[in-house]
Amino acid sequence: MSKIKKIAITGGKGGTGKSTVSIMLANKLRNESKKIILVDCDVECPNDYLLLSQKLKKPVKKIYAQFPKLKKPKCQKCGLCVLKCRSNAVFQAPGKYPIFIHELCSGCGLCWHICPHGAIKIEKKLIGAVFENKINDNFWLITGQSVGVVDETGPIVTKLKDYAVNLAQKLRADYILFDTAVGLHCGVIRALIDVDLAYAVTEPTPLGAHDLKLILDLLKILKVQAEIVINQADLGKIELVNKISRQLKTKVVYKIPYSKNLVKAYSKGGLLKMNLLSR
Amino acid sequence: MKKNKIVVASGKGGVGKSMVSSVLANFFAKKNQIVAVDCDVDAPNLHLWFGENEKWDKVEKISTNEMPIINKKKCNLCGKCVDICAFDAMAINNQRLTINNFFCEGCAACEVVCPQKAVTMKRIKNAEVRIKNNVWGFPLISAQLYPGQTGSGKVVEEIKKRAENFDHQIMILDSPAGTGCPVIAALQGSNFALLVTEPTPSGLSDLRRVLQVVKYFKIPYGVVINKWDINQGLSERIEKEFKYKLFGKISYDKRIFKAIANLKPIIKTNLPVKKEIKEIFNKIKLINKNED
Repeated sequence: MSKIKKIAITGGKGGTGKSTVSIMLANKLRNESKKIILVDCDVECPNDYLLLSQKLKKPVKKIYAQFPKLKKPKCQKCGLCVLKCRSNAVFQAPGKYPIFIHELCSGCGLCWHICPHGAIKIEKKLIGAVFENKINDNFWLITGQSVGVVDETGPIVTKLKDYAVNLAQKLRADYILFDTAVGLHCGVIRALIDVDLAYAVTEPTPLGAHDLKLILDLLKILKVQAEIVINQADLGKIELVNKISRQLKTKVVYKIPYSKNLVKAYSKGGLLKMNLLSR
Repeated sequence: MKKNKIVVASGKGGVGKSMVSSVLANFFAKKNQIVAVDCDVDAPNLHLWFGENEKWDKVEKISTNEMPIINKKKCNLCGKCVDICAFDAMAINNQRLTINNFFCEGCAACEVVCPQKAVTMKRIKNAEVRIKNNVWGFPLISAQLYPGQTGSGKVVEEIKKRAENFDHQIMILDSPAGTGCPVIAALQGSNFALLVTEPTPSGLSDLRRVLQVVKYFKIPYGVVINKWDINQGLSERIEKEFKYKLFGKISYDKRIFKAIANLKPIIKTNLPVKKEIKEIFNKIKLINKNED
């Protein structure tokens, strides 16, 4: 079996067209008769399913994390859990029982191990779900979504990727495309780790150039090969992006012109027919 | 007027948070002492919307995170740290304990659980704080989480603390996109959230998702539809859904893209967007007054 190629689509800045490029890339590869799995790794705000006019129905996998729960009869109100929690997720008013704020808690487990009275038990809580949409014979969309208010969404991304990689092996897919969230935080890092290539999508403005440099720095640290995609390439100042490209020796592989049709397709969920990727 | 923290958030990226934050700050600064905080510590851009270059009055490396260091002489490879780590950052391969720093959240659970006391947490410099008295005469506090580092939420908490040290009546906070830890940190303790969206299925979906967090913290909020005229049908649906919570609409204007491409602050232009944000500003001022 040939190796499945893993490509990430990222960019640092929001709204530059990561999801749009991801879907257009999937469309392009599909036209080349490849089998593709697109994974929406923006688990805080997944959008790919909307751009493909899909609905998220029953999850194919539920993701749980562990959270602390106080056993009041055993608690001596010593305050050690409050003192040691790095996430500041435990509050205690003087003389009262500590309160665990799950929405600030990373679920690391430090408190229930450190409690000298065995007064903290573990509670399993749903934090995320994975959805599977078969778009057509050669194209699957896998979406991850956090459930409720979740502080630490990184582990959801890792579990989502595991699911997608398993599926890709089962289906003998040619490509897995990982559409990452904005920024450079843990969820993005987890999506980028171990991929063969990352496209950094940017726009020709000082904002796009500023964030492009940051994401390219991150990709270098992660030892991931990078290439640049410029969206709305005919607006703004393309020299700003070209300068970063030269500085960091990363080539620009696609330039996507501003297109009213594309904006329209985006806002109507009709990206399945769009492909503006040409070198 | 009491101290008011106004946070601009959105869920979706690139819908206009920093633009709205910068112009709002400019309007507030005309009659109030303000401080502006760029909470997008992953990819801070607010200074660019103010027309600022990268020169800061003060840059300071900070540490808001710790990483485990293993004493190999003490470690007997019992694997307890691997079992407890909720972030899959530790593994034993070929009789060696390895730590994946990109996955580590610095929670210290490994240190606590190690029976051999072979793990010690060490503080690391994971970000820098940047401060300047900007060209508009008020302080701008920003930060950069170093690429590859974790702990953005704690960096946001730190710069909010720094911002408190400046005399001010109003604090304008520009939130990052998403709904996770840095967004929660930006929203916590705020008095008002201005939620920016656009009339696309993604914009609306992400607005609803960030709203879950805003409602959880019981923060009063208002909604702004940016580029409202690119899909008028969906704009009307958003207006109907949010009724009196709708604080304003901003028209799509290619000239905004041109202005920022040339680092020209919106407040210095005569584009319609300036007037549209002024109306939003007037509404926020009104509710601020009513709460006094």
